[in-house]
Amino acid sequence: MLGLAALAATAGGASGRTSAGPIKIGISLSLSGDFSDPGKFAMQGYKLWAKTVNAHGGILGRQVVLDIQDDASSPTQAATNYQNFITRDHVDLVFGPFSTLLTAPSAAVANRYGYAFIEPAGGGPAVFDEKLHNVFFTQPAPIVQSGDVFVNWVLSLPKAQRPKTAAYPELDDPFSAPIAERMRQAFEKAGIKTVYKTVYPSETVDMTPIVSKIAAAKPDMVVGGTQAGDGYSLVKGLVQAKYSPKFVFEANGPNSPGEFPSKVGASNTEGIFSASDWFPKAKTYGNPYFVRQFVKTYGGTADAIDPGSAEAYAVGQVAARVIQKVGLNNAKIIAALHKGQWPTVEGTLHWNSIGEPTGKFLLVEWIGGKLYPVLPKNVAVKKPVYPKPNWGG
Amino acid sequence: MHEIVQAVILGLLIGGVYALMSSGLTLVFGIMRVINVAQGALVILAAYLSYALWSNLGVDPFLSILVVTPAMFVLGVAVQLVFVRSLRGPEAPELSLLITWALALGIEGVLSVIFKTTYRVSLPSYADSTWTVFGYQVAQVRFFGFVVSWVMLGLLALLLTRTRFGRAVRATVQNPTAATLLGVDANRVQTLSFGVGVSMAAAAGAVYGVIYPFNPGSHYDLISRLLSIVVLGGLGSIGGAVVAALGMGVIEAVVAVEISPVWASFSFFVVLIGVLLVRPQGLFGMRERVL
Repeated sequence: MLGLAALAATAGGASGRTSAGPIKIGISLSLSGDFSDPGKFAMQGYKLWAKTVNAHGGILGRQVVLDIQDDASSPTQAATNYQNFITRDHVDLVFGPFSTLLTAPSAAVANRYGYAFIEPAGGGPAVFDEKLHNVFFTQPAPIVQSGDVFVNWVLSLPKAQRPKTAAYPELDDPFSAPIAERMRQAFEKAGIKTVYKTVYPSETVDMTPIVSKIAAAKPDMVVGGTQAGDGYSLVKGLVQAKYSPKFVFEANGPNSPGEFPSKVGASNTEGIFSASDWFPKAKTYGNPYFVRQFVKTYGGTADAIDPGSAEAYAVGQVAARVIQKVGLNNAKIIAALHKGQWPTVEGTLHWNSIGEPTGKFLLVEWIGGKLYPVLPKNVAVKKPVYPKPNWGG
Repeated sequence: MHEIVQAVILGLLIGGVYALMSSGLTLVFGIMRVINVAQGALVILAAYLSYALWSNLGVDPFLSILVVTPAMFVLGVAVQLVFVRSLRGPEAPELSLLITWALALGIEGVLSVIFKTTYRVSLPSYADSTWTVFGYQVAQVRFFGFVVSWVMLGLLALLLTRTRFGRAVRATVQNPTAATLLGVDANRVQTLSFGVGVSMAAAAGAVYGVIYPFNPGSHYDLISRLLSIVVLGGLGSIGGAVVAALGMGVIEAVVAVEISPVWASFSFFVVLIGVLLVRPQGLFGMRERVL
């Protein structure tokens, strides 16, 4: 009901531009190539938002039309698409593509022409290092901070229950190693000894040599700066090495509820932590409505919804609200988004001057075969369970 | 010392699987002078076929080799007949590179559409099981993969040394003109050999899919490794490919454990460059073309 009410609110005309044509929004998405799966998840979120908004009368009385172009997962093509949207097609707004790799050059194009760039998936340092004023990332925090909640929780435990030693296998990737590095520095500062740390290149297929080194070092805690594939291999390797640390955190891999159990075995998921920006049962603004409509539109179950769809939907929510507030003017939109709070399915967002959200990621944990948010307390469904049980149980 | 021995065990186990993958690649080059850069994609295709049988019908990934291998043999024969056989003249090797690369991209595209780009892995009931032997960990799936690889390589050796077809293959490798003059049907030998090469990829793919998560793009890394292996072993030499694959597995594992994973792949290339400086034909390139 909250979502319906919110959407209904966007439908009312406030600026008097109800007689104009539809609002055209240009979006470059990876519908082919390496990012085609997450690109399609984002497309589902964008399309669901447009469909919902239009069903409730549009924004300021104008229907929304999405012009989605494939960028084949190429940063060059993405930048070209945005150039065309703005200079050739004269769209009213642009929304972001998938991933930091494509967002960084695309945001620069939008910035050149004074367009706001509300984007769902460009949360890596490459985007914020550009220090652009038009970027607004619709997740709770920059990706590099996604392990902070875990760090704070571990350091809040009674000293006797805290891990004393830790190992840090880190993928050499802007979304992986920096997360684990930030966590390592915080843990070392708090006296948790690093017994093993390595950075491995992205072409590393076989994680077993790294795992054998971890097992030999016998750390209480393993913090993996991982992506999906190496995250799965790391857990499988630890299982096969019969080494079960008391705490396991992976930046990516376990945060995919639909994929993780089938990659490492459901019985091996118990007690593993990860970070996430969204979950289906969140009581965030419009989320129950989003989940219901998503399942109704695309089928499947709530648990199978990829967070990428929610992130894209949140972009639309922010855009609808800000247009409602200041009208369809990119300069005014940029100025408005730098102030105040913006409620979305991803939580209530606010940004600093370069588009970094100032909130916190969720700490999620596998408990009883399901992935639950366990921190921060205001959104947690369960309390963190520790220490991690042995593999298989 | 314990870590080094453990790394050597890991390296040998995985090296055996790479030996199986690269055997098909070097066999095809030895006979046709075709560098089949689709070999990595064919391995991944086989991994998907095995995965599909396991996830839909519950067929054990290792047993699926009995189904996937003949299917991939037929595919290999078809590819040779349709795409490769028509290549003639001095530019044929270069053209074969382009055609097989196009084939690899085509396979990747089809797999992306059917299976999407998320990672897959076959997880039979024994996937987590490990033997502890004198304090060293040996994962059962890796051991089974190693055994399967050697069984397949053994069968390939028997095929090449104990059958009429094998004699024709070896004769064609050593001297294609003389073989033809002596009555060997070169076209038939080439077609069937291409099928055999692809079927080696099939068996290796089924094993690969149990050991590693994979997606349609996994073939890029694979083919770079396989090409390095066959160059080090000597183009056309199956024995050389086996030695090089085992060497690669051990070198990478030991360097990853003792120095850093960052240097693991690079260390193998250092060895490759060093060997090629001394023996440009690779380890067994001149003395032994096939077995």
